[in-house]
Amino acid sequence: MTGGPDIDYYDWPGGREAMLCFGPLRPLVLLALPLFEEYNRTRTFAVTLLHMLAGRGIGGMLPDWPGTGESRVPTDQMTLAAIRAAYRALVDDRAPIFAVSIRSGALLDVGVPVVARWHLAPQEGAELIRELERQRSAEGDVAGNVISALSLAELAGATVAPARVLRMESDPRPADRKLQGSPIWCRAEPANDRPLAQILADDIADWIATCVA
Amino acid sequence: MQPIRAANLLPEGMTKVEKTVRATLVDVLGISAERAADFTATTPLFGALPELDSMAVAGVLTELEDRLAIVIEDDEVDGDMLETFGSLVEFAVRKALV
Repeated sequence: MTGGPDIDYYDWPGGREAMLCFGPLRPLVLLALPLFEEYNRTRTFAVTLLHMLAGRGIGGMLPDWPGTGESRVPTDQMTLAAIRAAYRALVDDRAPIFAVSIRSGALLDVGVPVVARWHLAPQEGAELIRELERQRSAEGDVAGNVISALSLAELAGATVAPARVLRMESDPRPADRKLQGSPIWCRAEPANDRPLAQILADDIADWIATCVA
Repeated sequence: MQPIRAANLLPEGMTKVEKTVRATLVDVLGISAERAADFTATTPLFGALPELDSMAVAGVLTELEDRLAIVIEDDEVDGDMLETFGSLVEFAVRKALV
């Protein structure tokens, strides 16, 4: 299986957004990147991971949510409620879906009928807010994103759903598995980590196999 | 041969926190482990390390919160705390080992 991903579109009540599609149609992973600045830092890694999953016979979707990526919704109109509605619409359309996420992407699959959830270093809404507040510049934006007060209020109470959880070994919080190495989301320049992506691709493939068994 | 540092003489908990601060700087700033290993209590940080801009400061504090299971409030963050490696470790120790 060679070549680049396909560009596809999905509809949700608020409009139409783009997404990348990898590999076969089934089984199908929906990968949710983190929100805001960590999105930029982890996207290359996520695409690498999706290519590796495709190589293992697992399909993947990497959607732009309303207000993120190539979406024409302005960032200051981006809300968690809208993104969750878009997530739900996509799952309803393409079910059955295996939900995979990195960091605050885990906030998006709450209450959605997916087969199962797999979270890399899930970040709760309150933790994300603390991070955003720190990143806020003197002009009030966060790394060029204007974040609405509504969005912050939503995030304050947002929590993640139960999932298979993987964390870096430097993180003392509970996890089903701990991973060696540096967290890819914490450096300003986007980094990639192919060996880690291979480990995660194997973990996800094994996890999917046990889910369908 | 490792030079003897003051950190080696501190109680185990404080050494563990110091190791965590050092590893966090490596991971967030993208500097080498060797360079971070040379940091001593008086090594200047904010204002001296070009990698440590305000975004990187945010990243360091967030990572320290995660790794040490602490919460760092905005009003606790000032220039003094970030001035040297020693002052940052001291701050982290105070928060982590209370």
